Amino acid sequence: MKQTHLIIVLISIFALPVLAQNLTDSNVNGLPTGEEVAAHINSRDEGKAVSRKLKIEMRDRRGKIRQRETMSYRKYFAAEKRTVIFYLAPKNIKDTAFLTYDYNDPDLADDQWLYLPALRKVRRISASDRGDYFLGTDMTYEDIKLETRVSTTDFNFKTIGTCNSKGKPGLQIEGIPKTQEIARELGYSKTQSCVDSEIWMVRTSQFWDIKGNLLKTVTINDIEKIQGIWTQKNIEVENHKTGHSTGLTFSEVDYRSSVADGIFTTNAIKRGL
Amino acid sequence: MPVLPDANCKLQSAKKRLLTSQAGCYFAFIRAAIITALCTLFSASLYAAQWQSSVISSVLWSASSHNFKQQNYQFTVEPEFILRFDNNAKLTALGRLRSIGLDALSPEGVTDKAYSPFSKPLFIGNSSELELREFYVEFPSDNFYFTLGKQQVVWGKADGLKVLDIVNPQSYREFILEDFDDSRIPQWLANIESNFRGWDTQFLWIPDQSYHILATDDALYTPTSHLMLPQSQAGVSSVEVKPFKRPARTLMDSDVGLRLSRFWRGWDLTLNYLYQYDNFALLYQRRSLTSHGLHVEIEPQYRRTHVLGGSFSNAFDHWVLRGELAYFSNRYFLAEGPSTNNGLSKGEEISYVIGLDWAGLENTLISGQLFQSVALNRQSATIRDKTDSTVSLLVNHTLLNDTIELRFVCLANTNIGDGLVRLRASYEWQDNLKTWISNDTYYGSREGIFGQFDNNDRLTLGIEMGFE
Repeated sequence: MKQTHLIIVLISIFALPVLAQNLTDSNVNGLPTGEEVAAHINSRDEGKAVSRKLKIEMRDRRGKIRQRETMSYRKYFAAEKRTVIFYLAPKNIKDTAFLTYDYNDPDLADDQWLYLPALRKVRRISASDRGDYFLGTDMTYEDIKLETRVSTTDFNFKTIGTCNSKGKPGLQIEGIPKTQEIARELGYSKTQSCVDSEIWMVRTSQFWDIKGNLLKTVTINDIEKIQGIWTQKNIEVENHKTGHSTGLTFSEVDYRSSVADGIFTTNAIKRGL
Repeated sequence: MPVLPDANCKLQSAKKRLLTSQAGCYFAFIRAAIITALCTLFSASLYAAQWQSSVISSVLWSASSHNFKQQNYQFTVEPEFILRFDNNAKLTALGRLRSIGLDALSPEGVTDKAYSPFSKPLFIGNSSELELREFYVEFPSDNFYFTLGKQQVVWGKADGLKVLDIVNPQSYREFILEDFDDSRIPQWLANIESNFRGWDTQFLWIPDQSYHILATDDALYTPTSHLMLPQSQAGVSSVEVKPFKRPARTLMDSDVGLRLSRFWRGWDLTLNYLYQYDNFALLYQRRSLTSHGLHVEIEPQYRRTHVLGGSFSNAFDHWVLRGELAYFSNRYFLAEGPSTNNGLSKGEEISYVIGLDWAGLENTLISGQLFQSVALNRQSATIRDKTDSTVSLLVNHTLLNDTIELRFVCLANTNIGDGLVRLRASYEWQDNLKTWISNDTYYGSREGIFGQFDNNDRLTLGIEMGFE
């Protein structure tokens, strides 16, 4: 009898949290699972190719503002996504360009290059630098690459409830890095996002650093349907650790004009626009 | 099999015809490219114009074991003008007006005969220079991309020292302290890029014959190392330096280059070929005995070499491996001993660099490189060692969202034991306002390439403003 009690206690200690977690993940009041939500986000139509202007405004805690103007292009080559960003202004960063090849195969590391006009050379960048902040912004190289997507290769997602962002109801999902190494690489130990379940776009996200402190909040302020595709027009990123924030505003978004394959090459980023 | 004189003559004649016909095709191609460029440019309508400028001002203090004094101020204006046409053609013009407050760094205190007449800056007094740095038109046409005019072409993947980055010559007025972007001497050339069976090809035709510029006598960075200049010897009563003997034929003395590049299974690969005049003047020495003693005549001249090489880079986890290699078919090294082959020893050279970058710490890049130059098949003993090695270390760290950049660079030659240590901190106050402080310290034997400037350690304060 004592043995039976002991077994029940052990099951309670070890198995119930796991069962509870599975129950939470798969069926919070009949909500879709985190993985299902992530799949919806990642299967949303982004257009085969897009070109757009991107204005970046960086503000430090003392109110100092720096601005960047860029032109960016993204195109899918089958399942492989290529993105290129050309800096147009100001003068001290003009002609800098960033190129990335994002492979669908999770075993293949991305390939990334940065053209530095001061050296007039294209420098290969390690894809493991993806947790580094992108050219002074509060977005990491990985954030820039993912755009509106979420990484199911790096995170396990679960639905933790419902949410509301600026009057839009949504699903709250939580992402936990699959390994400690991924967490260290990305600089995040946890993410929580409010996903608009009508259009399957993230409306707000919060990121925690590897020590478990709230690191930053990302808010999508303006989403508009352009040429039949839901498009984010304004993103605000606030870094709670540094007090620094970044605003990204997209304009002249065009999904219809063709984007030449040749623009996604190291020669093209060297030439510039 | 012996060849009869008549047959030999016919063979020579056929070869000549073939060469003439090849040269004819070659020049026809160049002519067609230039005509297409001009037609494209002049048939297009202007739709946008951009104007930007930078004003850079810096103050230098020199320091040695004996003194610490203000050495120089330098003021530079760099206007840039871009015209865009409706057929995707683009015209870029970059100028530079530079004024320097120290005679020993005067813009005119260089071997200006190494400039081609078309690329030479305009010297204003002893302290200023005005230069059209770049002036080129770019336009795509079918499967080609043309860049024609005065421009810089950069090959290779090395930092700080050059192996394949030898298309344009360089100014050594400040040794290697200037940014390469500023010290490279742009040339008038045709740069035609295309894609052929998955390979990006770049063809270069460089009729502009400019060569490396060195600081002249009494300048701050006049070379004195025995590795670079013949040293005075006992018994020599007089030395006469003759004018530079420059290649004079505009077409036949042109440099040509070809680069094939592709991205293959994660590797960035290039194959490079260049047929050029070595950018360093060779110091031919002629000795004669006069009534006063031994007279030495030095005649600087240039010799051609084939350069064959390649480069690679790839990323592995936090690491990036990169490298480049170049083989030079004709090299002339300073010979040991006074009377051998006009003071020079002919041979070949292989140079290479292997670099490893590590980015495992946030916003930090640590990069190490090994450069080696190996002299092969030398006709006689040379002043330089057969193998010359230099190692470099770069640590770069950015803070406060890239507004602060800290950089440490060390270059060390392991043959002589000399080197250069560079520290720099910069701060971006606003979008177009940056200041920096830097320190350059040389160490080691005066016989070394770096050690020869051991008295020229310096501290620099600078400010850069941009206008649009």
